Amino acid sequence: MSEHLLEAVDVSKAFGGLKALSQINVTQGRGELLGMIGPNGSGKSTFVNVISGALKPDSGDIRLMGGSIYRKPQHVVARAGIARTFQAVKIFGKLSVLDNVLAGALGHEMSRADATELAKASLARVGLNVDLDKNAGSLGLYDRRRLEFAARLISRPKLLMLDEPVGGLNPEEIRAMIALIQSLREECGIFIIEHTMKVITSLADRVVVLVNGRKLVDDTPQAVLRHREVIDVYLGTGDA
Amino acid sequence: MRALIIAFVVATPLVAILSLRDGFFVFIIGIALIHMLWASGLNLLYGFTGLIPLTYAGIAGVSAYTTIHLVMAKGLSFWWALPIGSAVAAVLGLLLSLPAIRLRGFYFALSGMVIQSAITIAFVYFPAYTNGDTGIASVPRPTGFDGRGIASPYMELVLAAFVAATVAGVWLTMRTRFGHTLIAIREDEDLARAMGINVTLNRTAAFIISSFIAGIGGGLYAHYIGFASPRAYDVLISLNIWLMVAMGGRGTLIGPLLGALLLAPLPYLLVQYTWIKDVIYGVAILLVTMFLPQGIYGYVLKRGAKS
Repeated sequence: MSEHLLEAVDVSKAFGGLKALSQINVTQGRGELLGMIGPNGSGKSTFVNVISGALKPDSGDIRLMGGSIYRKPQHVVARAGIARTFQAVKIFGKLSVLDNVLAGALGHEMSRADATELAKASLARVGLNVDLDKNAGSLGLYDRRRLEFAARLISRPKLLMLDEPVGGLNPEEIRAMIALIQSLREECGIFIIEHTMKVITSLADRVVVLVNGRKLVDDTPQAVLRHREVIDVYLGTGDA
Repeated sequence: MRALIIAFVVATPLVAILSLRDGFFVFIIGIALIHMLWASGLNLLYGFTGLIPLTYAGIAGVSAYTTIHLVMAKGLSFWWALPIGSAVAAVLGLLLSLPAIRLRGFYFALSGMVIQSAITIAFVYFPAYTNGDTGIASVPRPTGFDGRGIASPYMELVLAAFVAATVAGVWLTMRTRFGHTLIAIREDEDLARAMGINVTLNRTAAFIISSFIAGIGGGLYAHYIGFASPRAYDVLISLNIWLMVAMGGRGTLIGPLLGALLLAPLPYLLVQYTWIKDVIYGVAILLVTMFLPQGIYGYVLKRGAKS
């Protein structure tokens, strides 16, 4: 079995003439928390979409714990152990809190009774203490995010990909969210896209920087933040 | 209010069948019952997965012609012919819809309209089985234990039993893991996929079950009214059945029954003014989409949940 959790080799994806991802190489070790940053439109969300199977890559290879998931249908990738959250939180707004988490188990082999037990455990795991029959659509943003997490955790993913998990949260909620993500490291591999540097610096072991669909750097957060080109990209070169 | 509607839906057909002496009104109830069956089957697809199958009447027609052929040309008993006809309809409906089943909402409906038109034309162009536009007359009633056609009002009771069995079947289905999966797909297809749900497979399964129910209704309808023609299974009929589900309340058990009971008798009650039927249907489509997107029963449930 591979020592890596995730290996993306020379992954490319184009939308018509626009090269959203150009030969991206990313590896994530077991137990490693990998971050990804980059300006808007640099291909971060496309990368998550390609890895999770929502979009089919044009070329390259993607392996999860050594097994290829390249161009596999999304539900197969999800069953193989990749769970992802969305930049704009996705929950079933018309269903109850409990049904939302249970829905996360529908695509996976699990009995209803086991699923109900696990659903409650998942909700407790993310610290969401609300009425199980409450309509999920009536929850606030922070609670929605935690509900989204719980609905992913119930399937016991090997890799959890988070697309801007603190977007729209207030500083206090961001602190709590960082603590929650930190605590989830024991259970699964975590991959985070984030704009908020505080999240990246306090959580990530390693950071990949994407610019215009290309990998610019791949290093520790401290090294990345000192990197000349990264500073140029984020703060401008002065002649722009 | 909710209890009142349930009572209305259940009691009206039964009381009418058992008390009315007038054969015409009993016949109208029979027609309404078949539409209740159809509406429940379409609801499984539209109400629980969000797809609008405008091929529905065509699929019912395939079953009707198959059943008629097996009974009238091959001498098979109606009760053997009906499940065979329905199965043929379900398989054919699936094959025809396979290219479309990955499409979403509006595009699925549109492709269904095209496929339905093709089916209607096929009915006209295979006169060996359908007698073309002239249609097939003197289709025999389903036979009872004595080997003779079941007379009214017993036939209507048989139809009511079919409706009850279908509703019970849908109710049970929605309580299974499969049912929960369908609801997840309806609520958010992309999210369902990301959660490991095989959207295409589950939709296909729902489509087959729904088509089978369409087929049961189709066979019953032809043998109940004693006549079959391409017009009886064209796109307008698909739209009418869809409207019954939408107006009654999609995604509920009672809603489609209510819609069918209210709308199906109209063409028969307005025989002299059939053009008015289309106006009423058109206005009903507008009113429902604008003011009652959840349908009548859906609205009642929502108000009940608030108070």
